Formats: sequence, structure tokens, C-alpha cells
Amino acid sequence: METMHSNNPIDPGTEGPGWASWLGIMAIAFGIYLAAVHGTEVLSQIVYAPDTAAVHDVPIDCEEEELVEEGISLEECNLMGTTAKNVILSSPDWFRSFHIGLSAIGTIIAIVSVFIGIALVDYRKGVVVPAILTFGLLLAIDIIGFLAVVNAGPLLRAMYLSDTLLWSLIHLIMIAGLLAGFHSEPE
Amino acid sequence: MQRQGYNKTAIFMHWFMAISIFFLFISSWWMLALPLPSEEYRYRVLPFQLHKNLGITIFFVLAILLYVRFKHRPAPITSPAMTPWMHKLAIFDHVVLYITIFACCLSGYLSSAYSGWTTTLWWLVDLPDWGYENEELNIFYSDVHLWTCWILLALVSVHISGAIYHAFRRDGVVRRMIRW
Repeated sequence: METMHSNNPIDPGTEGPGWASWLGIMAIAFGIYLAAVHGTEVLSQIVYAPDTAAVHDVPIDCEEEELVEEGISLEECNLMGTTAKNVILSSPDWFRSFHIGLSAIGTIIAIVSVFIGIALVDYRKGVVVPAILTFGLLLAIDIIGFLAVVNAGPLLRAMYLSDTLLWSLIHLIMIAGLLAGFHSEPE
Repeated sequence: MQRQGYNKTAIFMHWFMAISIFFLFISSWWMLALPLPSEEYRYRVLPFQLHKNLGITIFFVLAILLYVRFKHRPAPITSPAMTPWMHKLAIFDHVVLYITIFACCLSGYLSSAYSGWTTTLWWLVDLPDWGYENEELNIFYSDVHLWTCWILLALVSVHISGAIYHAFRRDGVVRRMIRW
């Protein structure tokens, strides 16, 4: 028996322009990854609270069976405390709450960009303005994060700056691609 | 009438799982570098609880996704761009992907159950503490969790590559999991 298809046919012939499909899939892939990165950053800043054990050099319980379970050496076990201490002590007072807020907003906008990407692949002309706004907000978050890290000292700069710059470039390219694609469309 | 694309619930769950799985990968690489837990060192408590909660949630979301997917099957792909070998690869990747997600979640839960640490589902419901502290079983399931998750990452990469290929071809395949 022949299958009746619903009123949402997906015919290759009805696909949107190539640039929208290309940009949409990039927005989805990068959006998912960025949401995970920003989400992890929120978690990281919450966990690395000031005045906690690592700052006071409290010895870590590096028991033999724990080391076997984790697959790490005694030196690595002790260095884990040093890493936490480095992050906490190298952060200026304002940095933690600022970065939690910025990364939380970044997580939400990154998730929105996934849906914008979906809308771009399933092209509708009305998606262009929300897409510019979303990619623009992501770029703004990158730039604000970049400026914050630049003023946060050398250890945090080494930790964050190159990644932040890379994300800025990605979002800049996506905005340029979106504008170029939109302007190439017939009126 | 049969939908060309996937059911709305299936679409929502697919994207929820995509974001959650990537978050679990990236956050787990970070959290395993946190100091080992003790009375004073509490850094791992929140990330591990969140990790377990998301893993358990993904397990059930995938079960619902599969139910919805089989109850509301989309129309078969008719695009000429989908060659028979691609079709076979897609089916193989999906089946192994689902099995691996289940295995990854289950092994993580079992590892936790034998670690002696309790799990509170979303900080609301204490899950039954049916396991017991057993170092060997904890390490065994931990290893299974580790390896199934690496395999999952490889399968997800194949899955994404296929999706990007079809998005560039603009053959309608990707829009099955996009069109609301």
C-alpha cells in the first residue's frame, strides 16, 4: 500500500540556499560544543571557590587504592591540588562571579544558536535577523571574556586567551558568512 | 499519515541528548583532574553528582526516544544521494550508537554503585543503595565506562560527519531531524 505523506514534505528540491545549509550545520555543531564548554566553565568556577582546602595546602588523601582506581601516580595526585590552588589564587576577586555570569549567559545563547542553526538549515528568510543577533551576542560574549581575561593576570591569560580568541574568530566568520549569504539572495 | 521527518518529541530528545553528551565529555575531562575527595577536599562532589544525574537522565531519555521513534516511524529516505552502502552504514552507526549510549550510562551507574558513594537524583530522590563498596567491581565498571565512552565519542564523530555530509549535499536527510 502506498504511504501517504503528511503536509511537511522534505523534498531535496525545497532545500534552502547552500550558504544557509552550510552555516546552519556549523551553528549547530559549534553551538553544541560551545554550550558544553561554557557549561563546564560555570561548573568549574562554582567548584573552585575561594578559601577552600587547596588554598590552605591541606594534604590530599592519595591512598594507594585510590591511585590505582584513578590510574594516576602519587605526584599527579598531589599536583591536582596544586592545579586547583593555581586557579583559585590567580583569579582576582571579581573574576569568579563575573565569569560564572558570563559563561551562564554564554551557555544559554549557545543553546539558542543550535536552534538558530536548525532554522537556517530549514531555511526561512525570517531567521536571518535572529541569527545575526544570536551570533552577534556570542561574539560580544567572546570579546567581553577576552577583555576580562586580558585584565586578569598572566596565569588566567595563559589558560583562557587562545580559546577565547579562536571562538571570536569562529563567530566573526559566521556573522560575515551570514551577511554575505543574505546579501547574495535575490530581493 | 506518515511524517517525512522524525516526530517532534524525538527531535527534541535528540538535540537534548546531543548537548548533554558533549557537556558530559568536556566536563568529565575537567573533573577527573580535580583533587581526590576527602573530608576537606569537596571539589568533586557537585561535578560527579551532576555527571551521574545527567547520565541517568540520558539513559531514560534515550529509552523514550527509541519508543517514540519506533512508534512513529518517519517515511523512508528516498534521496538518490543516499547510496545503499551509506544507508547500511547509517543503520549500523545508529544501532551501535544506541547500544553504546546505554552501555556507557549503565557502566557509569554500576561503577558508582560499587564505589560506596550514593546518588541523589537531581538532589531530590535518593536512589536505592543496592550496591556495596567493592574496589574490584568499581574499577571493572569504571574501565568499561571509560572504554564505552571513548567508543561513543568515535561513533558520535561518524554520526556528525554523516550529518554534515548530507547538510552539504542538501539532500533532505538532515532535515528529517530538524523540521519541527
